[in-house]
Amino acid sequence: MSTARTAAVPGWLPAISAIARNTFREAVRDRVLYLMLAFALLMILASRFLAMLTVGSETKIIKDLGLSAISVFGLLTAVFVGVSLVFKEIDKRTIYTLLANPVRRWQFVTGKYAGLLSVLTLNAVVMFAVLTVVLWTYGESPAPLVPAVALILVELSIVAAIAILLSSYTNPMLAALGTVAAYVAGHLSWSFELLARRIPEGSGRGLVRVLSWLVPNLDRLDLKALAVHGVPIPAGQVGYAVLYGLGYAIAVLVLACVVFERREFRA
Amino acid sequence: MSRIATCAVLAAGLACAAVGLAGLRAAEPSPGSAELLYLPNGRHLRLASSGHASLAADAVYLWAIQYYSNYERSDRHQYVEHVFGTVIPELDPRFVDAYALGGMILAIEARDLDAALRVFDRGIRENPADWLLPYTAAWECYFAGRPALASRYLDEAVAKPGAPSLIARNRAGMVERAGDPRAAWRLWKELSEDPASDETTRAVARGRIADLQQRIDLEDLRAAIASYRAAHGRNPRALDVLVADGLLPAIPAAPDGTGYRYEPDTGEVGAGATRVLGDR
Repeated sequence: MSTARTAAVPGWLPAISAIARNTFREAVRDRVLYLMLAFALLMILASRFLAMLTVGSETKIIKDLGLSAISVFGLLTAVFVGVSLVFKEIDKRTIYTLLANPVRRWQFVTGKYAGLLSVLTLNAVVMFAVLTVVLWTYGESPAPLVPAVALILVELSIVAAIAILLSSYTNPMLAALGTVAAYVAGHLSWSFELLARRIPEGSGRGLVRVLSWLVPNLDRLDLKALAVHGVPIPAGQVGYAVLYGLGYAIAVLVLACVVFERREFRA
Repeated sequence: MSRIATCAVLAAGLACAAVGLAGLRAAEPSPGSAELLYLPNGRHLRLASSGHASLAADAVYLWAIQYYSNYERSDRHQYVEHVFGTVIPELDPRFVDAYALGGMILAIEARDLDAALRVFDRGIRENPADWLLPYTAAWECYFAGRPALASRYLDEAVAKPGAPSLIARNRAGMVERAGDPRAAWRLWKELSEDPASDETTRAVARGRIADLQQRIDLEDLRAAIASYRAAHGRNPRALDVLVADGLLPAIPAAPDGTGYRYEPDTGEVGAGATRVLGDR
């Protein structure tokens, strides 16, 4: 990303948006993506039938199932589409054609990420729209769920960035495993703080503290239970969560760009 | 392999699987609580759910409803308190319906009010703004023959924000059933005078005040007559004597306006009607 070369490339934004548009089209055409979307919609609709098995709490279960479906299918999309985006271009050697154009590597990675993020947003919006319709049939407002869905998207933006980072220097299988591991560790990030309190003062505690900052604190972005019960969520909490998510995703993406810049491709 | 051979192998495979499954189902042991032995506690389920603890609570709740709806299980009440009072709350402490259902299963079907109240109490602690749980607990106490405890839970329910006015009426009625007409009279009086009370509540309160007033008056009169008899060895000639003797501040006027009947020969005192219909 030298200054001289950057100056030689006219308009970084059109390059990124062109790659993002292509990534979006490619992902939307992907049959796996359609399958996930259809399955997610089916899950949300199935929630109505599940509600027949319960004693009261129908809408609570529908909301839980809907939000979890949005989160889980978003995660699967982020992982399985995210890890193959960069790899496919290298594997099919289309990366050479792309990079022969006036497109910098960091623009390529950022464009791929932006395309993936737009796919994830579309997924979440469509699924939330279906959930809204289901809730309306019960006379329930979906409004209290909006902050939770927003933070699911923030969480997915972090997961997508990690998937892109890992896929920029390893194969899709390892990248998928690493991304899922980061997701699970992110939801257990509270345990680092607990561990730091339990172990004696020293380098061990310091290391755990550092880890607790490095691991994505995804559990702090999880407002699903509060939203389902209609507990008012302070705007500040949502604001900080969005700030954290965006900051973390940008940092990981920058790292992905640096790694991809240094990568050597064999002809 | 020819098409016929392929179909034959497929059919044979399916037939074997069907026979095997039918055999497994026939050999299935009778329903018992064995499956509950493998139910992890809520903390472990929360860890495994990776950010979907509320959904995991729903899954346990739905499973528990099906499990406890099977009346063929002889030991079906063994782990109700653990499932509804520990596992589900550890996953979703705000799941009010789970506490209510668990408490009702324990109180109504298992006839274990103490266990039911432990489940209700945990729900009340975890959901301090909810009126449904103390209200439900109150009725379970009442049906178990403990109206005094029931009135305590209603006291708690009525103080919650958004509690319907019906609960305040239920509380006054419960205190009455617990055998404290004076306290009940005070509660009904407060309700009848509370500008926040709706018209139905005020009408019910007026009726109950009149009934209770009559009951309290008769209790006071009978106590005064008994005291007079103990002091003089005979019944008073008329009720006025009780006032003259300082046993009553005044002769109470019956709420129906007819006055209390007194029989000097027997010392019996009574009202014109056993119940009072509204104001006079």
